[in-house]
Amino acid sequence: MSETLQRLVGQLRAVVVKEIRQTTQDRRMIFLLTVAPFLQLLLFGFAIDLDVDQVPTAVVDLDHTPESRETIAGMLADGTLAHVATPPSVPDAERLLEDGTVAVVLVLPEGYGRDLARGVPTQAQVLVDGTDPTRANVAGGAASGYLGLEGLRLAQAQIAARLPEGRTLPSVVVRPRLFYNPTQSTPIYMVPGIAGMLLLIITTIVVSMGLAREREMGTLEAVRVTPLPTPVLMVGKIAPFVVVGLFDVTLAITAGAWIFDVPIRGSLLLFYGITALYLLTTVGVGLFVSTVSQTQQQAFLGGFIFVLPAMLLSGTMTPIHAMPAWMQPLTALNPLRFYMEAVRAILLKGATFTEVRVQAAALLVYGLAIMALATSRFRKRVS
Amino acid sequence: MTPDHAIEVDALSRRFGAFTAVDAVSFDVGRGEIFGYLGANGAGKSTTIRMLCGLLAPTSGDAVVAGARVSTSPEAVKRNIGYMSQRFSLYPELKVRENLEFFGGAYGLFGRHLNTRIAETLDRVGLHGHAEDRTSSLPGGMRQRVALAGAILHEPGIVFLDEPTAGVDPVARRRFWSLIRELASAGTTIFVTTHYMDEAEYCARVGLMVAGRLPALDTPEGLKATYVPGDLFVLRGPGAHADDARARLLAVPGVVDVATMGAGLRARCAADAHVRGDALAAALPAEVEVEPDTASLEDVFLAVVDAEAQARGAARAFGEGD
Ligand SMILES: Nc1ncnc2c1ncn2[C@@H]1O[C@H](COP(=O)(O)OP(=O)(O)OP(=O)(O)O)[C@@H](O)[C@H]1O
Ligand SMILES: [Mg+2]
Repeated sequence: MSETLQRLVGQLRAVVVKEIRQTTQDRRMIFLLTVAPFLQLLLFGFAIDLDVDQVPTAVVDLDHTPESRETIAGMLADGTLAHVATPPSVPDAERLLEDGTVAVVLVLPEGYGRDLARGVPTQAQVLVDGTDPTRANVAGGAASGYLGLEGLRLAQAQIAARLPEGRTLPSVVVRPRLFYNPTQSTPIYMVPGIAGMLLLIITTIVVSMGLAREREMGTLEAVRVTPLPTPVLMVGKIAPFVVVGLFDVTLAITAGAWIFDVPIRGSLLLFYGITALYLLTTVGVGLFVSTVSQTQQQAFLGGFIFVLPAMLLSGTMTPIHAMPAWMQPLTALNPLRFYMEAVRAILLKGATFTEVRVQAAALLVYGLAIMALATSRFRKRVS
Repeated sequence: MTPDHAIEVDALSRRFGAFTAVDAVSFDVGRGEIFGYLGANGAGKSTTIRMLCGLLAPTSGDAVVAGARVSTSPEAVKRNIGYMSQRFSLYPELKVRENLEFFGGAYGLFGRHLNTRIAETLDRVGLHGHAEDRTSSLPGGMRQRVALAGAILHEPGIVFLDEPTAGVDPVARRRFWSLIRELASAGTTIFVTTHYMDEAEYCARVGLMVAGRLPALDTPEGLKATYVPGDLFVLRGPGAHADDARARLLAVPGVVDVATMGAGLRARCAADAHVRGDALAAALPAEVEVEPDTASLEDVFLAVVDAEAQARGAARAFGEGD
């Protein structure tokens, strides 16, 4: 080994050893880095249930005919809507909607059955509580979908009645089949996103506070007067947390596989490769934040200013196509989005590198850019 | 760069926005010399040191430290110096040994050599047996010595110490200074800033900084001879307590300044005035005991600050300067 290389390795080791010693001195830090992510994974996995079913529903049947009862039974049939109340009037039903007892009200007006029988256009009303847009969409869809099909069925029946004997109407039946997540289990879908969020929180915030702490304590000046090259200092400060991040992500997919039956269909090597690219960005953002903060408090806040929108705009919680149109392009700036897409593809679909190369390239570009920015800002602050 | 100069500073300046923290400072420091840097809070001492250590780029001017230019090769400067910053600069949660392992490693020491150096240096600063102590558990004086150990581990030719004894008790200060003198006699150049005038007396030469400029630089004796040239007397006893004692003394020809000192008064006379002690005693209404006194660096400091203020006032009166 050449002398320069030997010295660089020694310098790097000095920084890494120091970081590990400092971190292991701090019990809260150990908890934050190892136990907390695991607990968060369980919490998110069990608590967030994005599947919409059993939406509490009030039924106001003002018609009391076999037709109206049949319609109601049909609308409740698939389990999305759960019949929990039968108020006598529409104002009563609205009150239940207002106080949150129910989220959906089905109203069948007087004369519904009679109009149907006569073939006169008729109306059934569906009131939906829109405060939870996902639920509103699904519940509204379930109710109107049934009514649409029902209308089609009635129309077909009427036309068929006029057809010559022996002929039937052509018909198309749409039977959706979900791939990759056939049981529509939320954890399967969520775990990759949660893993990405945990990595983001841990690496970005811990790294951003690490450098700010040295600045606050005055040790940064003592470090900067040594001939330790800036890149060595930076790599040494982040390497331990990249290792912790890889450990946490391993924990996340292992727990995901055991507890939530998340499949691991793709290559683990590819998964860790993508994770490493992603960590380059999260850690880079942490370093960047620390170069613009004077105190640990500022660094913490700065970290969150990045972490929160990154989580919200990643498509983990809200599908990107459900965001306002002007917001959708912003998600292309979000490394978490690409990481999550790639991890979902690798774990759930068994995607190969070719299939996630766009995401990999985006992560690499963002990672290198933010690292370069952080390093140059750090250097500039010296003079 | 002459071989006997460890530091050569040429019109070194640093501005922060419109404010000039260090204003065209020039001086040389010889090898193995203890060079003291004195100045009020905010005079620009730390800013000067940080430029000489390659931590802060000069706005104009330059300096050669250990053979390297601070403006163009700060990294080369860093390799050859040790620096103890004004702020506490150790990791409090780490052990003494762990701190030294980190700083030694940062300077490129490793393996057995590093371990040997840590043991030697701890011995040298009198901390043998404290290697496994947690740094935060040590008293202030010992922590300063750990910081010094961190700055000399790699055997630099020049050591910069920015107020190394601030907030440390007198016994610990004395001990620290005997370490500094040992280092210097072994050939290490010491550049030290301080607020303590008694410490400045230990320095071979002292530079006095006032508002970013360096108006005075000499040996302590030279400074005293230049800035406090006349005789000094201390007067104690009933006569010194009279209400008009100061006025009466100032009326004596040749007396330029009278200040209270402890329970008595201290009179400073003009150079070549040849004021006699009896003349001062005679000027007072009651009996006093008169003793000649020697000038201190504090006198020098006050005189220099005065002279600077007057010079600036004059410059302003003529509508020039700042
Ligand atoms: N990074 C900076 N930005 C702006 N002003 C600065 C900066 N660093 C120092 N100063 C200003 O420059 C002046 C000189 O500061 P410096 O720290 O060099 O003084 P000092 O002589 O070391 O004082 P002290 O005895 O208090 O340590 C001060 O007025 C200070 O506020
Ligand atoms: Mg200072």
